[in-house]
Amino acid sequence: MIWKSFESEWVKMRRRRLWYGSYGAITGVIVLTTIVTIAGALHHPDARGDLTLGQLAQASGLSQGLTQSGVLLGAVSFSIAAFQFGGEFAHGTLRNLLVRQPRRSVLMAGKCLAVLTFLIGAVVVATIVAICASFVMAHLRGIPTGAWTSGTGMGDLGILLGDLTISACGFAIIGMIAGVLLRSSVIAIAAGLAILLPVETILTDAIPGTARWLPAQLLESIAQGGTTTAPFEPALMTVSAYVLGAVLVTLLVFVRRDVTA
Amino acid sequence: MSAAALAADPVVPAIDRTIDSYAVVTLGLSKRFGRRLAVDGLDLRIPVGSITGFVGPNGAGKTTTIRMLLGLIRPTSGRGTVLGHPLGHSRAYLPRVGALIEGPTFYPALSGRENLMVLARLGGIQTKRVDAVLRRVGLGPRALDPFRTYSLGMRQRLGIGAALLPSPQLLVLDEPTNGLDPHGIAEIRAMLRSFADDGMTVFVSSHLLAEIQQICEHLVVIEAGRLIFQGGVEELLAARAPELIVRTETVQDAVQLLRLVRSVGRSARMVGEGESTTLEIAADCHWAGELNRLAMADGITLVHLAERRSTLEEAFFEITRSSYGQMRRASDFPRGDQGARGAWTPEAGRR
Repeated sequence: MIWKSFESEWVKMRRRRLWYGSYGAITGVIVLTTIVTIAGALHHPDARGDLTLGQLAQASGLSQGLTQSGVLLGAVSFSIAAFQFGGEFAHGTLRNLLVRQPRRSVLMAGKCLAVLTFLIGAVVVATIVAICASFVMAHLRGIPTGAWTSGTGMGDLGILLGDLTISACGFAIIGMIAGVLLRSSVIAIAAGLAILLPVETILTDAIPGTARWLPAQLLESIAQGGTTTAPFEPALMTVSAYVLGAVLVTLLVFVRRDVTA
Repeated sequence: MSAAALAADPVVPAIDRTIDSYAVVTLGLSKRFGRRLAVDGLDLRIPVGSITGFVGPNGAGKTTTIRMLLGLIRPTSGRGTVLGHPLGHSRAYLPRVGALIEGPTFYPALSGRENLMVLARLGGIQTKRVDAVLRRVGLGPRALDPFRTYSLGMRQRLGIGAALLPSPQLLVLDEPTNGLDPHGIAEIRAMLRSFADDGMTVFVSSHLLAEIQQICEHLVVIEAGRLIFQGGVEELLAARAPELIVRTETVQDAVQLLRLVRSVGRSARMVGEGESTTLEIAADCHWAGELNRLAMADGITLVHLAERRSTLEEAFFEITRSSYGQMRRASDFPRGDQGARGAWTPEAGRR
C-alpha cells in the first residue's frame, strides 16, 4: 500500500517544471560551491588555514568543493519537502488523497519515500555535474587531478556523496514535518528556513557548544563528514533521535487531526 | 460497531433493522469545534439507489457532515454506517465511495488526466478507468491540458470524474453545481440522473433548491447542525396545500366570487388592486371545475384559473424559518403563499 502512495506521489513529481526547478537548484548550489571553493583556493598556506591548491591536488581534493554545499543543499531540500507536504493542505488536495487512501500513515510514508528518492536522485545528478565542473576548474587553475581518480579519491567521493545524501534527507524530513504541522508550504518554508539558518547560526555563535544540539548545525556537520565541534557519529545519532521523535509526533498529529482544509 | 450490531441495537428504531436499505445511516452524529457545535445529533438515512438532496443554509453543517461520513473529520459523538460499515472504519467502505468535497481541488500544473492518475494510483485503480471516466464527464478532448486552464464547469466535471474513479456505489457530491451557468447546471443534472440510472446512490448537497427539486427524490434538510426534515421531496411538497389562483373580468366580480367561494366553505382571500386583483383559494386543481361552474352560474367570467403548488424553495424557507430543534414531518408545515406552477385555464384544463 505504501507503494501505491509512492507511485501516486511520483505522478505529481514527474512534471517537468518541478524537475527543472528542483534539480536545477540543487545542481546549481553544489556546482556553485564547488567552483567558488576551487577558484578561491590559495597558492600558499595562510595563517587562517584556508584551502590551498596543494590540498586540492590530494585524493580528497575532488570532495573539497562538495563538502561546502551542505547548508545550501539542505535549505533547498527542506523547501522542496515542505512544499510537497504543506501544499496538500494549502491547495485542499489532501482531502482527495485521503478519500482514496484513508490510511494516513501509509499515505505519509509513501509520500515521504517519494520525496526522498526524488532528492537522492537530485543529489546524485548534482554531484556528477559538480565533478565535471571540478575537473574543468582544476584544469583552469592548474591543479593535478591524478589523485582524484585514484581508489582513495573515489572512496572519499563515495563517502561524501553518502554524507550529503543523509544530510539532504534529514533536511527534507524536517521540511516534511514543518509542512504537515504548519499545514502551509509558505509558512513552513519561511519559518523553517528562518529557524534552521539565521536563528541557529546566531545561537551557535552566541552560545558555545550548541552546534552539537541544533539540527541544522548537526546536518551541516554530517554533510562535511563531521567537524571538530560536532563529530560525525554523535551528530548522526543526535539527528536520528530528533528525526525519529519528530516523525512519530507528526504521524500522530497527522493521523488524528481533522482534515478541514 | 458493525452493521449487524447496529441493526440489533435496541436503541435503534425499528426502521433501522432494515439497514441494508440505506447506504448511509447515522445516529446522534455530532461534531463540536471548540465551543461551536457544528453538527448536533444528526440521524440520517439515505436510501440505497436514491438521489438524496442535502440542503441547509450556509454554515448549517452540511460539509462537516459529509467530511465525517468520509472519515476526514472524527465525530465528537454518535455513530453510523456507510455501505454497511461503521463510520470509524472508513477504509472498509471508501474504496466504494466517490466524493467531491467543497469544490474541485487539483494540482494546477498537472493535466486533468495526470490529476486523476494521482488518485487512481493511490486507490489502486486501473489506468484505463481514468480514460473512461474522462470520456464520461466529457473531458476527453481536454484531458491533457493543465488543470489551471480549465473553465469552472470543466473543473467541476473533473471533480465528478475523480469521484467516479472507483466505480462507486455511493457518490457524495458537495455543491457540484457551484458557480456554474445554467448550461453547466443542466449538464451536471443530466449526469447525476445517469449515475442514479446506473444504480449508484447519490448524495448531493446544493444551494440550488430548484435543482434539488428536479433531480432528487429524497431530501435531507439541516439547519444549525440539526436535522429538520428528511423524507421524500414529494412528501414535503404535497403537505403544503395547493391553491387556485383566479382572476375575473372586474373587481366587483372578484368580490362576488370571494363571497360565493366562502359560502361553500372554502378558505379564500383577495390580493392586489384594480385589474391585478386576484383570488387565492385553498383548493387543488380537482375543484377547479366546480369553481368554474359556480362562477358561470352566478354570471361571473373567469379570465384566469391556475393551480399553484409550493416549490421546494418555499418549503425550505418555511422550515428553516421555523424554530429548529425538533424533527418535523412534512405534514406539519403550513401552506405557502408564493410561486406558481401547473397553470390551469377553464377551457384547456391543466397545461
